[in-house]
Amino acid sequence: MKLRSKRCMPIFFAAGVLLFAALFISPQWSAVAAQASAAPPAPIHASALQIEQIRAEDVKLPAEFQMAMYEHVIEEVEKTRRFQHLYRDGDRDAANAADLVTLKCTVTGFKPGSAEKRQVTTVAGKTSVTVHLVFTDKNGQKLAENDVQGKVQFFGENLRATFDFGKKVAAVVRQDFAPMKPAKA
Amino acid sequence: MLKRTRSVFLLAPLFVAAAVVSSPMAHAQDKAITTFKVHHVIGLQAIQHNAKGQVMVTKDSLTFSSGPTKSDLAINSIEDVQTGADSQRIIGGTLGALTMFAPYGSGRFLSLFRSKIDTLTIEYRDPNGGLHGAIFTLPQGQASMLKSQLVAAGAKASPVPAQEAPKS
Repeated sequence: MKLRSKRCMPIFFAAGVLLFAALFISPQWSAVAAQASAAPPAPIHASALQIEQIRAEDVKLPAEFQMAMYEHVIEEVEKTRRFQHLYRDGDRDAANAADLVTLKCTVTGFKPGSAEKRQVTTVAGKTSVTVHLVFTDKNGQKLAENDVQGKVQFFGENLRATFDFGKKVAAVVRQDFAPMKPAKA
Repeated sequence: MLKRTRSVFLLAPLFVAAAVVSSPMAHAQDKAITTFKVHHVIGLQAIQHNAKGQVMVTKDSLTFSSGPTKSDLAINSIEDVQTGADSQRIIGGTLGALTMFAPYGSGRFLSLFRSKIDTLTIEYRDPNGGLHGAIFTLPQGQASMLKSQLVAAGAKASPVPAQEAPKS
């Protein structure tokens, strides 16, 4: 009897492994396969981008955060070299741009955090700001939308979260927009 | 005659004391009116981030100067001025970052020593109508003085919203 149970052990073990694979690995694998098979969205071609003022309607965001985020986004998006023209909010020249894309940023979450806590404990006091980005064309049609979080977790003062936010917006722009065509000589 | 001289002797020290007390205050006020020592965080054209310098409000412009570089901002282009409160490490910069690796947690201990600072956020428009934002940090208590000078010179400013400043 004991001998039979010893023989059955590997079978039970193998059955368990197969069950585990069927339950957990297969759905994940199929999701990965589906993602791989789905073609990535074609990059958007646009020669001009206008970045609107960052809005914080339902979230209390300090003025310095709001403006620092805006300035960092402008700086970092400029570095991506995806657009021939980059217009600020209210720039009158934007009206003449042919294929203008507008970026609207709405703050959906803000955690003030504490630089002192971060520097003393390392793990506590994270500052974060979550923003919903919407890219629209001249007719107001949505081209892309993303949620981006700027944060400072370990080193740096609170305003550094705005720099991180700018970097992440630039990464989204790099991913969603086609590079500028080189100018013909 | 004696009474007169006595009253003169009584009044003289009062005048001297008033002169001694008021003259530094007046001097300090004059000094406060002319220049503010600030850190430019971001936003002014042709000025580096975190540049130290001085801000001066004149009749029609705000001038930031950092060594030989200067940046002028027309007062009538300012759409909003807001003040805030923050704090920063007393030992900052590269040295401050290096102290984080000091032994026995002494770097963390040094992080507890912080100075309170004011922030001043200025929203302004360029000649094309494009929005810009300039942020300065100043010693505690000076941001409201600078703001009032800007408002007196003609800058627009919205009322202070009741919002929590982030703890630092």
